Amino acid sequence: MFDLLCKELRLAVHPSLFVFIFLGALVLVPAYPYGMVFFFAMLGIFQSIMYARETRDIYFTALLPVRKRDAVKSKLLLASFAQLTQLLLSLPFAFLRTLYMPEGNPAGIEANATYYGFGLMIFGVFNLVFFTRFFKTAYKAGAAFLTALLPAMAGIFAMEAAVHFPGMEWLDSTSPDQLIRQLPILLAGIIIYAGTWLLTYKAASKQFEKVDL
Amino acid sequence: MNALRIEKLTKKYPQFTLDEVSFTLERGRIMGLIGKNGAGKTTALKSILNLVSPDSGTIEILGLPNPEQELECKQKLGAVLGGIDFYRDKKLTAITDVTRRFYRHWDEAACRRYLDEFAIDPGKRVRELSAGMRVKYLIALALSHHAELFIFDEPTSGLDPVSRDELLSIFRALTADGTRSILYSTHITSDLEKCADDITYIKDGRVLASAEKGTFLRSFQHLRTPEDTAPLTLEDIMVRTERREFHV
Repeated sequence: MFDLLCKELRLAVHPSLFVFIFLGALVLVPAYPYGMVFFFAMLGIFQSIMYARETRDIYFTALLPVRKRDAVKSKLLLASFAQLTQLLLSLPFAFLRTLYMPEGNPAGIEANATYYGFGLMIFGVFNLVFFTRFFKTAYKAGAAFLTALLPAMAGIFAMEAAVHFPGMEWLDSTSPDQLIRQLPILLAGIIIYAGTWLLTYKAASKQFEKVDL
Repeated sequence: MNALRIEKLTKKYPQFTLDEVSFTLERGRIMGLIGKNGAGKTTALKSILNLVSPDSGTIEILGLPNPEQELECKQKLGAVLGGIDFYRDKKLTAITDVTRRFYRHWDEAACRRYLDEFAIDPGKRVRELSAGMRVKYLIALALSHHAELFIFDEPTSGLDPVSRDELLSIFRALTADGTRSILYSTHITSDLEKCADDITYIKDGRVLASAEKGTFLRSFQHLRTPEDTAPLTLEDIMVRTERREFHV
């Protein structure tokens, strides 16, 4: 597993992905729809898949002594690396923001436990749609990205809109006493992300097994 | 033990069928796979490499069933696919470092030795190598993990005569000790006259003939005409077998 991720990071990844990962720091911006941070991670993954297609990475991988489905695992590992690193990297910036700008984000949701929970769910759905669709052909990345973007962006808009509904203010809180209400959302995010990862691996591998390179 | 045994390999596409292809490559030998463009050479090679899933048939690599023992088979395979260049912007050191992680019997000293032997600078990027050097680099990688079966799809296409001759020398050296074998497709039939031990001819998805080179050449001499003063070459055989009349 480590070798596959190493192959991705040393050979297959597009350098712009690291910039998109670092955009997790955008949670420090005083007024910004933080849901866009997730969009940037998805965009970075899409670009890397496009780059890998152009550099014939899929052929290189398929010729290595690995199973065909390991090519799928390899890409999923890269996606998870980007998504989880972005979220982890954003954490210190989210703390800084709460400490030094306690007045809140007027543009949308705060970078709180709810935000990270929704983020994991959105990433999970994106991965499921994008990789399952992409590995039907292993080259039609654009169509797969647009298809996956629909539910992912719907999730981002839903998250950003939810905090404006009356009675839902607790979703937007950075107060420690609301954390206990938000933690189940974070937990659900972790479970959904892990579940969709496994489902994506299984479904996309099944598609890819049928593809003739 | 055979290096490769293919039995009734079949792959159906809407417009084309690779139809019950069978041949055997013995250890220590070089087999040339010939046929015109679209005859099914690449499909056959890709099936052996598991890049294409055949509909039916048996593939045995160094005595191991493929794809049932895919990982073990791939540990012993080296492949060069013509026209497919990996990671053009990456340095060879990066590609070598990643490749070595996947092979159990990677031999670092051998890798350095072969790169040196082929005069390949590991600090260069793929795009800075000539087409011939790229093939040599992939051969060096395969030799570094002690590959025993080499599969080349059009490895000499687009190369100048000197580079082609160098590669053919490497092919002969590879198989000299009788442990390594080569299967390669080409339509530069003069290369095969120089270095192949066996020839397999695929026409319209079917094996027309597969035999030791001398036997193969003799079996097609019935195509000679009274005007021919010398025995037919592989090119003559292919051209006369594939020749079509056009009415335009």
